[in-house]
Amino acid sequence: MICCKECIDLLCDYFEGTLDPDTAASLEDHFKDCPPCVSFLETYRQTSDLCRKTLTPVEIPEPVQIKLRDFVKNHIQSR
Amino acid sequence: MPTQEEKAQDEMLVRDMKAGQMEAFDKIFELYQRKIYALAFNMTRNQMDAQDVTQEVLLTIYRKIDTFQGKSAFSSWVYRITLNATYMKLRTKKKEQYVSLDEGLPNFNHAGFQNEKVSDWSKSTDSLLFSNETKGIIEKAVELLPEKEKVVFILRDVEGLSTEKVGDILDLTIPAVKSRLHRARLFLRKKLSNYFDEYQTRSSKK
Repeated sequence: MICCKECIDLLCDYFEGTLDPDTAASLEDHFKDCPPCVSFLETYRQTSDLCRKTLTPVEIPEPVQIKLRDFVKNHIQSR
Repeated sequence: MPTQEEKAQDEMLVRDMKAGQMEAFDKIFELYQRKIYALAFNMTRNQMDAQDVTQEVLLTIYRKIDTFQGKSAFSSWVYRITLNATYMKLRTKKKEQYVSLDEGLPNFNHAGFQNEKVSDWSKSTDSLLFSNETKGIIEKAVELLPEKEKVVFILRDVEGLSTEKVGDILDLTIPAVKSRLHRARLFLRKKLSNYFDEYQTRSSKK
Protein backbone atom coordinates (compact mmCIF):
# COMPACT_ATOMS: atom_id res chain seq x y z
CA MET A 1 0.00 0.00 0.00
CA ILE A 2 1.25 3.49 -0.78
CA CYS A 3 1.86 5.74 2.21
CA CYS A 4 0.18 9.07 3.01
CA LYS A 5 3.18 11.07 1.84
CA GLU A 6 3.14 9.46 -1.61
CA CYS A 7 -0.62 9.87 -1.68
CA ILE A 8 -0.39 13.64 -1.09
CA ASP A 9 2.36 13.99 -3.69
CA LEU A 10 -0.01 12.51 -6.27
CA LEU A 11 -3.04 14.70 -5.55
CA CYS A 12 -2.37 17.28 -8.26
CA ASP A 13 -2.10 14.63 -10.96
CA TYR A 14 -5.08 12.81 -9.49
CA PHE A 15 -7.30 15.86 -9.97
CA GLU A 16 -5.86 16.53 -13.43
CA GLY A 17 -6.77 12.95 -14.34
CA THR A 18 -3.24 12.30 -15.56
CA LEU A 19 -2.33 9.36 -13.32
CA ASP A 20 -1.93 5.97 -14.93
CA PRO A 21 -4.85 3.67 -14.02
CA ASP A 22 -2.81 1.46 -11.67
CA THR A 23 -1.53 4.37 -9.63
CA ALA A 24 -4.99 5.94 -9.50
CA ALA A 25 -6.38 2.61 -8.25
CA SER A 26 -3.80 2.28 -5.49
CA LEU A 27 -4.49 5.86 -4.47
CA GLU A 28 -8.20 5.11 -4.21
CA ASP A 29 -7.40 1.97 -2.21
CA HIS A 30 -5.44 4.10 0.19
CA PHE A 31 -8.39 6.50 0.60
CA LYS A 32 -10.67 3.58 1.60
CA ASP A 33 -8.51 2.87 4.61
CA CYS A 34 -7.29 6.32 5.52
CA PRO A 35 -9.82 8.93 6.77
CA PRO A 36 -7.07 11.55 7.37
CA CYS A 37 -6.10 11.40 3.69
CA VAL A 38 -9.76 11.70 2.66
CA SER A 39 -10.00 14.84 4.80
CA PHE A 40 -6.79 16.08 3.24
CA LEU A 41 -8.12 15.39 -0.26
CA GLU A 42 -11.41 17.19 0.40
CA THR A 43 -9.77 20.24 1.92
CA TYR A 44 -7.11 20.33 -0.81
CA ARG A 45 -9.85 20.45 -3.42
CA GLN A 46 -11.90 22.95 -1.44
CA THR A 47 -8.89 25.27 -1.13
CA SER A 48 -8.82 25.87 -4.88
CA ASP A 49 -12.60 26.32 -5.02
CA LEU A 50 -12.67 28.79 -2.13
CA CYS A 51 -9.82 30.85 -3.54
CA ARG A 52 -11.43 31.01 -6.98
CA LYS A 53 -14.81 32.01 -5.56
CA THR A 54 -13.20 34.67 -3.39
CA LEU A 55 -10.91 36.18 -6.02
CA THR A 56 -13.21 36.11 -9.04
CA PRO A 57 -14.77 37.64 -10.95
CA VAL A 58 -12.67 40.76 -11.02
CA GLU A 59 -14.67 43.48 -12.70
CA ILE A 60 -13.08 46.73 -13.78
CA PRO A 61 -14.56 49.50 -11.61
CA GLU A 62 -16.50 52.15 -13.54
CA PRO A 63 -14.00 55.01 -12.89
CA VAL A 64 -11.13 52.79 -14.08
CA GLN A 65 -13.08 51.87 -17.22
CA ILE A 66 -13.48 55.55 -18.00
CA LYS A 67 -9.77 56.17 -17.43
CA LEU A 68 -8.82 53.26 -19.66
CA ARG A 69 -11.08 54.47 -22.46
CA ASP A 70 -9.59 57.97 -22.15
CA PHE A 71 -6.10 56.54 -22.15
CA VAL A 72 -6.73 54.62 -25.36
CA LYS A 73 -8.31 57.70 -26.95
CA ASN A 74 -5.48 60.03 -25.99
CA HIS A 75 -2.45 57.80 -26.37
CA ILE A 76 -3.34 55.31 -29.02
CA GLN A 77 -6.25 56.29 -31.23
CA SER A 78 -4.99 59.84 -31.71
CA ARG A 79 -1.73 58.68 -33.28
CA MET B 1 -7.60 27.06 -23.55
CA PRO B 2 -9.05 29.47 -26.09
CA THR B 3 -11.44 27.78 -28.46
CA GLN B 4 -10.50 27.40 -32.11
CA GLU B 5 -12.88 30.25 -32.98
CA GLU B 6 -11.29 32.54 -30.41
CA LYS B 7 -7.86 31.69 -31.75
CA ALA B 8 -8.96 32.29 -35.32
CA GLN B 9 -10.54 35.59 -34.30
CA ASP B 10 -7.35 36.66 -32.52
CA GLU B 11 -5.24 35.80 -35.55
CA MET B 12 -7.52 37.81 -37.79
CA LEU B 13 -7.41 40.80 -35.43
CA VAL B 14 -3.62 40.67 -35.25
CA ARG B 15 -3.40 40.57 -39.06
CA ASP B 16 -5.77 43.53 -39.37
CA MET B 17 -3.89 45.46 -36.70
CA LYS B 18 -0.57 44.88 -38.43
CA ALA B 19 -2.23 46.22 -41.59
CA GLY B 20 -2.98 49.41 -39.68
CA GLN B 21 -6.68 48.98 -39.00
CA MET B 22 -7.54 50.81 -35.81
CA GLU B 23 -10.85 48.96 -35.40
CA ALA B 24 -8.89 45.76 -34.81
CA PHE B 25 -7.12 47.34 -31.86
CA ASP B 26 -10.45 48.55 -30.46
CA LYS B 27 -11.76 45.02 -30.63
CA ILE B 28 -8.64 43.64 -28.91
CA PHE B 29 -9.06 46.29 -26.22
CA GLU B 30 -12.64 45.20 -25.71
CA LEU B 31 -11.76 41.50 -25.62
CA TYR B 32 -8.71 41.69 -23.39
CA GLN B 33 -9.03 44.60 -21.00
CA ARG B 34 -10.82 42.61 -18.32
CA LYS B 35 -8.39 39.67 -18.55
CA ILE B 36 -5.40 41.99 -18.29
CA TYR B 37 -6.89 43.98 -15.42
CA ALA B 38 -8.01 40.86 -13.50
CA LEU B 39 -4.59 39.23 -13.66
CA ALA B 40 -2.81 42.45 -12.68
CA PHE B 41 -5.28 43.04 -9.87
CA ASN B 42 -4.99 39.53 -8.44
CA MET B 43 -1.18 39.79 -8.57
CA THR B 44 -0.97 43.26 -6.98
CA ARG B 45 -4.29 43.56 -5.08
CA ASN B 46 -4.21 47.24 -5.87
CA GLN B 47 -6.62 49.07 -8.17
CA MET B 48 -4.21 51.83 -9.13
CA ASP B 49 -1.43 49.37 -9.96
CA ALA B 50 -3.79 47.20 -11.98
CA GLN B 51 -4.92 50.26 -13.93
CA ASP B 52 -1.31 51.31 -14.63
CA VAL B 53 -0.41 47.81 -15.76
CA THR B 54 -3.46 47.61 -18.03
CA GLN B 55 -2.58 50.92 -19.69
CA GLU B 56 0.99 49.86 -20.18
CA VAL B 57 -0.03 46.53 -21.68
CA LEU B 58 -2.46 48.21 -24.10
CA LEU B 59 0.31 50.53 -25.22
CA THR B 60 2.75 47.64 -25.62
CA ILE B 61 0.24 45.66 -27.70
CA TYR B 62 -0.18 48.69 -29.94
CA ARG B 63 3.53 49.47 -30.27
CA LYS B 64 4.91 45.94 -30.42
CA ILE B 65 2.30 44.11 -32.44
CA ASP B 66 4.78 43.88 -35.33
CA THR B 67 7.17 41.90 -33.14
CA PHE B 68 4.51 39.30 -32.35
CA GLN B 69 5.36 36.38 -34.61
CA GLY B 70 2.53 34.05 -33.79
CA LYS B 71 4.76 31.24 -32.49
CA SER B 72 2.46 30.94 -29.49
CA ALA B 73 -1.15 32.07 -29.13
CA PHE B 74 -1.81 35.81 -29.08
CA SER B 75 -3.51 35.40 -25.70
CA SER B 76 -0.32 33.85 -24.25
CA TRP B 77 1.64 36.84 -25.55
CA VAL B 78 -0.79 39.24 -23.89
CA TYR B 79 -0.60 37.35 -20.58
CA ARG B 80 3.21 37.42 -20.74
CA ILE B 81 3.29 41.18 -21.35
CA THR B 82 0.84 41.61 -18.49
CA LEU B 83 3.02 39.59 -16.13
CA ASN B 84 6.17 41.47 -17.12
CA ALA B 85 4.49 44.80 -16.47
CA THR B 86 3.12 43.46 -13.17
CA TYR B 87 6.55 42.27 -12.05
CA MET B 88 8.06 45.67 -12.85
CA LYS B 89 5.35 47.26 -10.75
CA LEU B 90 5.91 44.90 -7.84
CA ARG B 91 9.70 45.36 -7.99
CA THR B 92 9.40 49.09 -7.48
CA LYS B 93 7.16 48.59 -4.48
CA LYS B 94 8.66 46.02 -2.17
CA LYS B 95 11.26 43.40 -1.67
CA GLU B 96 9.91 39.91 -1.78
CA GLN B 97 9.68 38.34 1.63
CA TYR B 98 10.91 34.82 1.89
CA VAL B 99 8.16 32.41 2.83
CA SER B 100 8.89 28.76 3.40
CA LEU B 101 6.47 26.49 1.59
CA ASP B 102 7.54 23.43 3.58
CA GLU B 103 4.97 24.09 6.22
CA GLY B 104 2.24 23.09 3.75
CA LEU B 105 2.87 19.40 4.35
CA PRO B 106 1.42 17.50 7.33
CA ASN B 107 3.68 15.60 9.75
CA PHE B 108 4.56 12.10 8.65
CA ASN B 109 6.00 9.26 10.70
CA HIS B 110 9.10 7.40 9.48
CA ALA B 111 6.95 5.15 7.27
CA GLY B 112 5.35 8.14 5.56
CA PHE B 113 1.96 7.96 7.27
CA GLN B 114 0.19 10.99 8.68
CA ASN B 115 0.90 11.72 12.30
CA GLU B 116 -1.63 14.38 13.06
CA LYS B 117 -5.38 14.69 13.06
CA VAL B 118 -6.66 16.17 9.79
CA SER B 119 -9.92 17.99 10.24
CA ASP B 120 -12.25 18.13 7.25
CA TRP B 121 -13.65 21.64 7.02
CA SER B 122 -14.56 21.30 3.35
CA LYS B 123 -18.30 20.93 4.03
CA SER B 124 -18.61 23.73 6.56
CA THR B 125 -17.32 26.67 4.58
CA ASP B 126 -20.56 27.81 2.93
CA SER B 127 -21.69 30.10 5.70
CA LEU B 128 -18.19 31.46 6.05
CA LEU B 129 -17.43 32.00 2.42
CA PHE B 130 -18.94 35.40 2.06
CA SER B 131 -17.84 36.81 5.36
CA ASN B 132 -15.32 39.59 5.02
CA GLU B 133 -13.08 37.90 7.53
CA THR B 134 -12.77 34.74 5.41
CA LYS B 135 -12.28 36.79 2.28
CA GLY B 136 -9.50 38.73 3.99
CA ILE B 137 -7.79 35.55 5.20
CA ILE B 138 -7.83 34.06 1.70
CA GLU B 139 -6.54 37.24 0.05
CA LYS B 140 -3.75 37.53 2.58
CA ALA B 141 -2.75 33.87 2.24
CA VAL B 142 -2.52 34.15 -1.57
CA GLU B 143 -0.52 37.35 -1.21
CA LEU B 144 1.97 35.53 1.00
CA LEU B 145 2.82 33.00 -1.71
CA PRO B 146 6.20 33.47 -3.37
CA GLU B 147 5.83 35.02 -6.84
CA LYS B 148 6.64 31.83 -8.80
CA GLU B 149 3.95 29.84 -7.04
CA LYS B 150 1.50 32.72 -6.89
CA VAL B 151 1.45 33.34 -10.62
CA VAL B 152 0.87 29.67 -11.41
CA PHE B 153 -1.90 29.41 -8.82
CA ILE B 154 -3.67 32.54 -10.10
CA LEU B 155 -3.50 31.58 -13.76
CA ARG B 156 -4.49 27.95 -13.19
CA ASP B 157 -6.87 27.88 -10.23
CA VAL B 158 -8.23 31.43 -10.12
CA GLU B 159 -8.39 32.37 -13.81
CA GLY B 160 -9.09 28.75 -14.71
CA LEU B 161 -6.58 28.38 -17.55
CA SER B 162 -5.42 24.88 -18.45
CA THR B 163 -2.11 23.51 -17.20
CA GLU B 164 -0.83 23.49 -20.80
CA LYS B 165 -1.76 27.13 -21.32
CA VAL B 166 0.00 28.15 -18.09
CA GLY B 167 3.10 26.27 -19.27
CA ASP B 168 2.93 28.11 -22.60
CA ILE B 169 2.59 31.53 -20.96
CA LEU B 170 5.37 31.00 -18.42
CA ASP B 171 7.57 28.87 -20.65
CA LEU B 172 7.51 26.02 -18.13
CA THR B 173 7.18 22.28 -18.62
CA ILE B 174 3.91 20.65 -17.52
CA PRO B 175 5.57 18.91 -14.54
CA ALA B 176 7.06 22.25 -13.44
CA VAL B 177 3.63 23.92 -13.59
CA LYS B 178 2.07 21.08 -11.58
CA SER B 179 4.81 21.11 -9.00
CA ARG B 180 4.43 24.86 -8.35
CA LEU B 181 0.66 24.55 -8.34
CA HIS B 182 0.80 21.71 -5.83
CA ARG B 183 3.12 23.64 -3.52
CA ALA B 184 0.85 26.67 -3.67
CA ARG B 185 -2.25 24.60 -2.89
CA LEU B 186 -0.56 22.84 0.04
CA PHE B 187 0.53 26.16 1.50
CA LEU B 188 -2.92 27.71 1.11
CA ARG B 189 -4.67 24.60 2.43
CA LYS B 190 -2.57 24.78 5.57
CA LYS B 191 -3.34 28.47 6.07
CA LEU B 192 -7.07 27.88 5.58
CA SER B 193 -6.99 24.82 7.88
CA ASN B 194 -5.46 26.91 10.64
CA TYR B 195 -8.16 29.51 10.16
CA PHE B 196 -11.13 27.12 10.04
CA ASP B 197 -9.84 25.06 13.00
CA GLU B 198 -9.49 28.23 15.01
CA TYR B 199 -12.92 29.39 13.85
CA GLN B 200 -14.53 26.14 14.98
CA THR B 201 -12.86 26.36 18.38
CA ARG B 202 -14.04 29.93 18.72
CA SER B 203 -17.65 29.00 17.81
CA SER B 204 -17.76 26.02 20.16
CA LYS B 205 -16.72 28.21 23.09
CA LYS B 206 -19.61 30.59 22.53
